Amino acid sequence: MTEDFKGSKILLVEDEETLAIGLEYNLIEEGYIVKWAKNGRDAIDFFEKEKFDLIILDIMLPYINGFEVAERVRKSDPQIPILMLTAKTESGNKIKGLEKGADDYMTKPFHLQELLLRVKGMLKRKSWYTSASQKQSDYKFGLIEINFKTLNCRNGDEEIRLTPQEAMLLKYLVERKGEIVTRKELLENVWHLNPEVETRTVDIFIARLRKYFEPDPSNPVYFKSIRGAGYMFEGK
Amino acid sequence: MRGKHSLFYHILIFIIAQLVWLLLLGIWIYWYVSNYIVFEKVGDQVSPQLVYDVQNALPFILGLILLIGLSFTTSLIFRHLNVQLRITELYDNFIGNVTHELKSPLASIQLYLETLKQREVPSEKRKEFIDFMMKDADRLQSLINSILEISAQEQRKLLQNYHVYNTYFLVKELIEESCEKFRVPKDSYQITGDASSEIVASKDALKIVFDNLVDNAVKYSTQQAKIVASLICNTKKVTILFTDLGIGIVANEQKKIFNKFYRIYNKAIPNVKGTGLGLYRVKEIIKAHGGKIIVSSEGENKGTTFKIEMPAYQAMSKRRLKKLLKNEKQSQV
Repeated sequence: MTEDFKGSKILLVEDEETLAIGLEYNLIEEGYIVKWAKNGRDAIDFFEKEKFDLIILDIMLPYINGFEVAERVRKSDPQIPILMLTAKTESGNKIKGLEKGADDYMTKPFHLQELLLRVKGMLKRKSWYTSASQKQSDYKFGLIEINFKTLNCRNGDEEIRLTPQEAMLLKYLVERKGEIVTRKELLENVWHLNPEVETRTVDIFIARLRKYFEPDPSNPVYFKSIRGAGYMFEGK
Repeated sequence: MRGKHSLFYHILIFIIAQLVWLLLLGIWIYWYVSNYIVFEKVGDQVSPQLVYDVQNALPFILGLILLIGLSFTTSLIFRHLNVQLRITELYDNFIGNVTHELKSPLASIQLYLETLKQREVPSEKRKEFIDFMMKDADRLQSLINSILEISAQEQRKLLQNYHVYNTYFLVKELIEESCEKFRVPKDSYQITGDASSEIVASKDALKIVFDNLVDNAVKYSTQQAKIVASLICNTKKVTILFTDLGIGIVANEQKKIFNKFYRIYNKAIPNVKGTGLGLYRVKEIIKAHGGKIIVSSEGENKGTTFKIEMPAYQAMSKRRLKKLLKNEKQSQV
């Protein structure tokens, strides 16, 4: 792994003891510092007391479930990447997880190498985003003002705070204003994922951006769907 | 959400069907009565053969019986439909829970295998990882068994090896094993009471009973689980009172907990994992032993007591003993 990410602090929220110990071992071997929370209550507690670079979060947790943990975390820190890790396979759960603020989702059982690559990718994106937002921090379209550095947006009188993943997707689309961007391209360049795996994730994030910025999300004027191709951003 | 909607539509269709039904009935009665009045008025004049007599009331009475019969059948079909819907809902929950319970240990085993393959793991750690894998394999095995054993045939296989045991020593051994398995410290459980009676039991089956009771006591306690098992024996029966100091069960849930796939939701401890089969199996096993199990709880956060009653060896009929212990004799031969 890149030297830069060694020492990154990961909050591992998993109640299955054997799985958590195995994950902790592997993450430590990769050079990360790991704090293990056995339930949702501990996870919130640790998160409020310490600063973390990434959260690996199970959904079925004692006391407070993963969706609620993600929601609470997002309220106080929109930037921290959250990887949901769960045995639930229904697509409804996946959508719910991403809607609650998770940036990525993996189902159990998973391949160790894939998990480590995703963790690394998320940390890389976070660090890339931090440096990219330094260069061009502000952008305006319509009544919308976006500060990529603070992730704060203003849509008229409404204040919105983006997650890093949402901000990265928005930044990518803004940089390619007026061009058709395929789902495959977005998965490869924004999520750094194998585009064969899935494309639904992109749609969920586009829906989130439409909800924030479109006057009528069902008839988008900024984030247009191009049938059979992908999406196009048209900032006016 | 979908379940609720479909139930709503079924009820709506049922109400509409009943309204249509009543309307038709009204029309039919109206038609019959008005015709009858007309018929009675002009009958004499038209034809003397058509004079009203008692037999002419027969179509009306038969029509009413038919309508009542149909109405009853509709209600019966509706009732069965509701039962079916409830079973489907429970079954869906069961599949969801089982999938989760199967995937978690599998994910853990896969993680350790990949770790051992990809990394140079020190021998001490390697041993620890193998132990974890074995533990997860055991968990998978017991889950698969519990799914298989809900079929009557498998349940019978489990209940083949009956032997005569001293109640106290058997219960003590089984509870101690279960407490060790579910990590209940020695000072958190106690077994008290009379030790004299003997029971005829399948040890493997009773192990499942106490595993489930201890596991539930652990899962449904907000703090460290505390368990007290008291034995009361007399010449006729053996009573085991298994009490935990967990979150308890509200009155309307107490009867349902032994139903197949039924699971309790308590906001004090959400997301408790399980399949909804444990207590159903417990009830079936105790029933197969000629005993019964009931649950009592004073309410939320007041603990739960399971009262198991089983016939004492001395009180069992010779015929039943012969039937239960036939395998024991065969194995001795």
